[in-house]
Amino acid sequence: VRCQHYPPLRALQASAALRRASDEHKKEPLTSSSQQHFDSPPAGHQPEQEPQGPRPSYTGQGGQESEDYESEEQLQHRILTAALEFVPEHGWTAEAIAEGAKTLGLSVAAAGMFHSDGSELILHFVSECNTKLSKLLEKEQKLVQLGEAEKKPIDEFLRDAVEARLRMLIPYIEKWPQALSILLLPRNIPSSLNLLTSMIDDIWHYAGDQSTDFNWYTRRAVLTGIYNTTELVMMQDSSPGFKDTWRFLQNRVADAMTMGNTASQVQSTGEAVVQGLMGAAVTVSN
Amino acid sequence: GLAAGPEMHFGFQTVTEEERREKIYQVFESVAKKYDVMNDSMTLGIHRVWKDILMHKMNPCPGTLLLDVAGGTGDIAFRFINYVNSVRQRQLQRKLKHHQNLSWQEIFESYQKDRLNSLGDSQVVVCDINREMLKVGKQKAQHLGYSEGLSWVLGNAEELPFDDDKFDVYTIAFGIRNVTRIDLALQEAYRVLKPGGRFLCLEFSHVSNPLLSRLYDLYSFQVIPVLGEVIAGDWKSYQYLVESIRQFPPQEELKAMIEDAGFFKVDYENLNFGIVAIHSGFKL
Repeated sequence: VRCQHYPPLRALQASAALRRASDEHKKEPLTSSSQQHFDSPPAGHQPEQEPQGPRPSYTGQGGQESEDYESEEQLQHRILTAALEFVPEHGWTAEAIAEGAKTLGLSVAAAGMFHSDGSELILHFVSECNTKLSKLLEKEQKLVQLGEAEKKPIDEFLRDAVEARLRMLIPYIEKWPQALSILLLPRNIPSSLNLLTSMIDDIWHYAGDQSTDFNWYTRRAVLTGIYNTTELVMMQDSSPGFKDTWRFLQNRVADAMTMGNTASQVQSTGEAVVQGLMGAAVTVSN
Repeated sequence: GLAAGPEMHFGFQTVTEEERREKIYQVFESVAKKYDVMNDSMTLGIHRVWKDILMHKMNPCPGTLLLDVAGGTGDIAFRFINYVNSVRQRQLQRKLKHHQNLSWQEIFESYQKDRLNSLGDSQVVVCDINREMLKVGKQKAQHLGYSEGLSWVLGNAEELPFDDDKFDVYTIAFGIRNVTRIDLALQEAYRVLKPGGRFLCLEFSHVSNPLLSRLYDLYSFQVIPVLGEVIAGDWKSYQYLVESIRQFPPQEELKAMIEDAGFFKVDYENLNFGIVAIHSGFKL
């Protein structure tokens, strides 16, 4: 762990690009409701972020002057968010990040802060999608609690949640296979797996899953299998509005429901997961 | 008379600031013509790999404006031009592949148009304090056929003749060791970089492994000055070179100095166990 040393002088130097939090007039989605830190946290100044609330003020770098400035991490998030609009054209690459940096008024060299294969961009996108999904599910739950909506049966709930999440991929669908293969790189697997499992966790949480026994594992494994296989089907789906994909999803969820708490459930979960991995391997090799 | 000033080191000697600048100028004046040959023989050609690694780390995209300080004979500048050129070629190829239904006429026209912009508006400015080194650099450029996107400026790293917020990347390869006031050079680097711009420094650094360190010392002090005498006829300059490496701050200290100048995300990468290190920082 490298210690960064911050002499008091730094607090007085006006940052060239890190902005005061008070200047921000853009509302940005908070990215850490799932507490994912896929950037390696810089030693010594990790800002505390609450899941719900106003933009946190940065208090790491000595002195009251810098309390209002955003941190490097926040700037990086802004750059990655800006880079997303260039992904359809440039793919998940350092070029997209460079273009994103340019729109924020920064030099294209700022893309050098990130890995040259675009990993961080993809992980950022996945994290943002997961956050969006969480918010959506939370909103729905509130409506149900207020009595303004009917509580959905479990299979419909799962189906809608997975569909909503997969629909977020549609603008980037052409380059998504590339993203999947990068997420499968050994270096990225811990982070991507983390993001995947917490998303699945979230969905089950809002579905009302209260299990504390072995069911907890099987439910998550089953849903992970459903999600992964549907995602792969979506990559190769050319039907209008992806209706083939949604039909596939419906069937898979129905299968899962009819299986019940038997040993066969565990077995077919294993099969589904294996199928998912095989499909992933095929996609990657293509 | 000698100009009075604070005591500084020149290799293992102690001199004033002004004396140091003069002596270093003379060193490079005398080695300029044999600079490249000596680099190859001293490092057994490995310096080329170090510079290539620097370029890969920079990963410049077309449209980048590079300032190469103490760039003397142009090694970094030429590599930059080559790199940006090949990235641009790939970009153009990808663009053409995208448009599958063009007529031959359209393909021909787009090829013509993009041909004229083979560097994609990238530019490199080579700045050096030493006229002789710049002269050698310009001759090399002519000889190797580099002309577009390249300019040569005489200037002092401690006081750069450029406006604020101009460049995307600032590099100084094997030059910062020879700067008398490193803190001023770092401040100038910060000044001329655009917000978001990157500072990259390639320099000899400290080897922590004790066995390797002894071998390295042996090689440095016994072999290199001899090579200097045999190949370039100049023992003393190469003695200075080797001593100046020992006097230069180690990795962590240089990192702290870069942070003091205002750079963020400062980091370094050791090459060959610390014989050489690349420091990187961003103006954020």
